[in-house]
Amino acid sequence: MQLDLIGKSYGPNQVLGPIRLSLTRGQRLAILGPSGMGKSTLLRIVAGLDPQFSGSITGDDRLALIFQEPTLLPWRNATQNITIPTGCSVAQAHEWMARVGLPAHHNHFPRQMSLGQQRRLALARAFAAQPDILLMDEPFASLDGETAARMIALTSELLSGTGAGLLLVTHDPNEARALEARPLRLGGNPAQIQG
Amino acid sequence: MNKAEVKTRVTPPGLVPGVVSIALMLLVWTVASQMTDRPQTLPAPWQVAARIYALAASGELWFHAGMTLYRVACSFALAMVVGTALGLWMGRSRSADQWLNPALIIMLNVPALVVIVLSYIWIGLNETAAIIAVALNKIPVVTVMIREGTRALRPDLDEMAAAFRMSRMDRLRHVVLPQLAPQIAASARAGISLIWKIVLVVEFLGRSNGVGFKLHMLFSSFDVAGVLAWALAFVAVMLAIDLLILRPWEARANRWRSDAA
Repeated sequence: MQLDLIGKSYGPNQVLGPIRLSLTRGQRLAILGPSGMGKSTLLRIVAGLDPQFSGSITGDDRLALIFQEPTLLPWRNATQNITIPTGCSVAQAHEWMARVGLPAHHNHFPRQMSLGQQRRLALARAFAAQPDILLMDEPFASLDGETAARMIALTSELLSGTGAGLLLVTHDPNEARALEARPLRLGGNPAQIQG
Repeated sequence: MNKAEVKTRVTPPGLVPGVVSIALMLLVWTVASQMTDRPQTLPAPWQVAARIYALAASGELWFHAGMTLYRVACSFALAMVVGTALGLWMGRSRSADQWLNPALIIMLNVPALVVIVLSYIWIGLNETAAIIAVALNKIPVVTVMIREGTRALRPDLDEMAAAFRMSRMDRLRHVVLPQLAPQIAASARAGISLIWKIVLVVEFLGRSNGVGFKLHMLFSSFDVAGVLAWALAFVAVMLAIDLLILRPWEARANRWRSDAA
């Protein structure tokens, strides 16, 4: 995946760019910076959710996105929350649920699960999409310290197991370190990769 | 389980006031019918009941009520499908909303009778015209309700669907329609009561069967007992549909929302 961002503007204000990034399977990058710097905007551009920018994204890598919130379908059970968005089989969904530690939650609705369990389900959903590169947007921000540490360990283990690359957006350098991701600091106006 | 929950299971809330209120209406009707000196102007409740029994026994009630129900079902389905599609489109697209909104406001304010008369003149005195006339009266109401619901759709789930490249059909089925289920159920319930009243007018003006046609015949002979018998029998049918089909469906559609709270 190769991002060549010339600029991203809101009206007359350029907020991002120029930024060049390249990432392949097995590589892990973390975009660091204070909130409001445009980290999430950058990730949305990479994910293809924001087509309003100048520049280009090349590469045919499969991407999967993990959001700040679990963003599960409340009216579908845990298994369907994996099979419907990713198109994987029920057996594969159950396998991924077992790998994230939810082996007994196949028929649970999101409301019947704790926030930590919903996060793990979102992680299972992302990996069930068989991504070459996993995109994560502040995925541990609303978790308590212990749960966040467990989620980071689990994410790292699944990344190593599948060989997927990682593009992490976070304000916390410790998360980048724990996931062994190369830190890139976003700063300036318009925001660019520093140093 | 607390005491209040036990109580609601034994008697549904509002059952006692409901039964008492209907009994009072029957009492007022009985007294009024006994006070008038012309029984043909206001027949007693038991005379109307005997008439309903006779209509049911002869089979006439089922044929005409069946024809009316058929028209109600066709126009209801047409109005729900077209209204939901238009509401989704207008809720999603700003320009569609801007272009179609004036027509929507006009349609909301055109009297039902005008739509019916014009449909019969332009399309002809036939079943198609009757069903289209009724549906046209209902579509704008459905459209408005679905449009409001569409504007309140969760953007985060939309983004999730886009990020996972879900197909349009899958998005509609699993992301959009479940969120709109309460609006769809509410507009269905509000719609069915509006639709059956308009169907009677359509039948009154231009059909040769159905409850509205029978009312037309009875109106010509000033047969009040007959008018009341047909009206009450059909009200009972529509109440049964509301209680046995639409209400349980609406409760089901809203369940995930109340549980999620």
